[in-house]
Amino acid sequence: MSSKTTIYGFLFVGLAVTLALIVAPAVYAVSLSFYQMDSFVGAPKWVGFANYVAVLQAPEFWHALLNGAIYALGSIVFQVALGIGFALVLNEAFPGRNLVRGLSILPYLLPTVVVILTFKWMVDGGIGIVTKAVEAMGLPPINWFESPGAAMASTILVSVWMWTPFVTTCFLAALQTVPQSLYEAARVDGTTAVQRFFHITLPMLKPILTVVVLLRAIWMFNKFDVIWLLTRGGPVGATENLAILSYRHAFNLFDIGGGAAIATISFALLSVAVLIYFWVFPLEDD
Amino acid sequence: MAEIRLEQVRKAYGGVVAVHGVDLTIRDGEFVVFLGPSGCGKSTTLRMIAGLEEVTSGTIRIGARDVTELEPKDRNIAMVFQNYALYPHKTIYDNLAFGLRMRKMDPAEIDVRVQKAARMLGLEDYLARKPKQLSGGQMQRVALGRALVREPDVFLLDEPLSNLDAKLRVRMREEIARLHQDVGTSMVYVTHDQVEAMTLANRIVIMRDGHVQQIGAPLEVYDRPANLFVAGFIGSPEMNLIEGRVENGLFVAGSLRVALPAGTQASGDVALGIRPEHLALTSEADGVAFTVRVIEQLGAQTLCVGEAGGERLRILVDRVDSWSPGQSIGVRFPAAKLHLFAKSSGQRIETAKP
Ligand SMILES: Nc1ncnc2c1ncn2[C@@H]1O[C@H](COP(=O)(O)OP(=O)(O)OP(=O)(O)O)[C@@H](O)[C@H]1O
Ligand SMILES: [Mg+2]
Repeated sequence: MSSKTTIYGFLFVGLAVTLALIVAPAVYAVSLSFYQMDSFVGAPKWVGFANYVAVLQAPEFWHALLNGAIYALGSIVFQVALGIGFALVLNEAFPGRNLVRGLSILPYLLPTVVVILTFKWMVDGGIGIVTKAVEAMGLPPINWFESPGAAMASTILVSVWMWTPFVTTCFLAALQTVPQSLYEAARVDGTTAVQRFFHITLPMLKPILTVVVLLRAIWMFNKFDVIWLLTRGGPVGATENLAILSYRHAFNLFDIGGGAAIATISFALLSVAVLIYFWVFPLEDD
Repeated sequence: MAEIRLEQVRKAYGGVVAVHGVDLTIRDGEFVVFLGPSGCGKSTTLRMIAGLEEVTSGTIRIGARDVTELEPKDRNIAMVFQNYALYPHKTIYDNLAFGLRMRKMDPAEIDVRVQKAARMLGLEDYLARKPKQLSGGQMQRVALGRALVREPDVFLLDEPLSNLDAKLRVRMREEIARLHQDVGTSMVYVTHDQVEAMTLANRIVIMRDGHVQQIGAPLEVYDRPANLFVAGFIGSPEMNLIEGRVENGLFVAGSLRVALPAGTQASGDVALGIRPEHLALTSEADGVAFTVRVIEQLGAQTLCVGEAGGERLRILVDRVDSWSPGQSIGVRFPAAKLHLFAKSSGQRIETAKP
C-alpha cells in the first residue's frame, strides 16, 4: 500500500468516527430543539423556533446564564491566581519538593464523586471535621448550602479545590522552561523580585495562561457534575447554570425540545465567546 | 571606572570546593581573561564578582567599596551571558533600555545612551524588533549593548562567543577588542578558547580545578609557563613534553640527549618542554635523528608527528613538500627555547639565560 493510500485510509477512519460519534449526535441534539417532545419514545412534533422563544422568555434562563458566568469567572480567577502562586512555590528548591509536587496533583486524580462526598462529609452539620473545627474556635456554624450566596461560594470552593492542581501543573511546566539566566540578567539590571515576576515570569507564562484560561472557561461554563452533586442547582436555582437547566427541562420537566434549545444556545454563546477570546488574545506571540 | 580586588575568594557547594581562595587584582581598564578547562571554576569566579553567586569566604572590592555582600544591582557591574539572556518579549530598544529604566534614569538620557550604543554596534535598524527576529551575532551585539548602555565599572562576560560559528566568532572577537579600546572599561572575560584568551587579554588567569595556575600577559604565559599544566594548555599545537632525567647538564630520556643551557640548576627527574614551532630543522649529522610518521599540511606550515630517540615529538615548520612517512630528518633543540619542569611538583625550573 502506498503511503498516500495509508494516509487517506487513516483520514477516512478518523472522519467516519468523528461523524458517527460527535457530529451526528450534535446535529441530532440541535434538531431536537425544533420539536416538541415529552419523552424519547413519543412522536416528536415540529414547532419551529417556539422552544427558543419560550426558553428565552423565561427569567430562569437569564438567571442560569448569569449563574454560570459567575461560577465560571469565580472559579477561573481563583484557580489561576492560586495556580500561579503554588507553581511559583513549587518551582523553588526546598527539601521534599518532588514529594510535594506529586501530592499536590492528587485532588485532580480523584473522581468528582469522591471529592464531593469528601467535601460534604467534612462540612457535615453533625460530624464534619470543618464543622467541629469552627465550633471549637467558638465561631457560629457556617451554612454551606442553605443560603444562595453560600451555595455559590461552596460550588466555587470545591471547583477551585479540584482543578487548581491542574492549573498549577500547567504553570509549573511552563515555569521550568524559563531560562534562569533571564532572571540573572534582570537581577543585574536592577529589578526587585516583584518586577521580575511582572517583566519576565508573567510574559513567559502568557501563552500557557491563554490556553489554560480558555480550557478552564469552557469546562467551567459547561460544568454539570460538581454542581449537580453538591446542590442540584439549588437552593431555589441559586447555583443553576445552563447545563443544569437544560437537564432539568429534558428529564424533569419532560420538555426535551426546550432542553435541547438551551443546550444549543449555550453552545452558540460559548462558540462566539471563544472566537472573541482568540481575537483578543491571539495564540501566536507578538 | 575602578579597580577590582579579589582577596582569598572561595566557593564551596556543600563539600565540593569549586573555587579555592583566589587572589587577584584587576586594574582599572584592564582586560582580564579567565581561561581553563571545563569545570575549573571560571564561571563561578565571574559570578561571584557579579554577585549572582555568594562567596563562601573572602572579600571582593570594586574601587574602594567592599561589595562582597551586595546584590548584583548594587555593584555597578554589567554582564553578558553565554546564551545572551535577552528578554524575549521586549523589543531590542526595550532590552537595551530596561536596566536604565529600572534605575529610574531620565527617559531623554536613556534614549541618548541607547541610540549611541546602537550606533556603536550597528543595531540602529533592529531596535523595533524582538530578539528572535535577529541572528546569533546580532543577539550577541544586543547583549553587549545592554551592558554598554549601563556605563558600568566593569563588564563581565561569560563565554559570550561560544554559541557563534567559527567565522562570526573571529569577527565578534575583534568587535569586543575594539569596544574595549573605545570605552576603556575593565573587562573580565571567561573562555576555554586559548586563542580568544591570547588575542583579547591584557592578562590571562589560567585556572584548573578551582586553583589559579598562573596569572600573566599572554606572551609571558606562552614564554614562561609556570607549570606543566599551563605548558600543555597554552599554545597550539601543544608543547612537546618529554619525561626524563638531568645528568651532567644534559637532559636524558631513553636514547635522546638534549643539551640544556649552561648553568642550569636542575637534577633528577624532570619533564622537558619544547614547542613544536621551536624545534629547528638541521642536517642529520648536526642534530637528533627524527623519523617522520604523520604529515599534516596546514597550508603555510607543515606539522609533522614522529619520533626522536624513542620519544614522540611534533614539529611545526614552514611548509615542506618533500617529506614522506618513514623518512629520517635532523632536528635541533635550541637551548633558549627549552622549558624544564620538576617531575614531582610539575613546577617550572628556571633554565639559566644563555
Ligand atoms: N550549583 C552548583 N552545585 C554544585 N556544584 C556546582 C554548582 N555550580 C557549579 N558547580 C561545580 O563547580 C565547579 C566549577 O563550575 P564552573 O561553572 O565555575 O566551571 P567553568 O569553569 O565555568 O566550566 P565551563 O567551561 O564548563 O563553563 C564544577 O566542578 C561544577 O560542577
Ligand atoms: Mg562556565
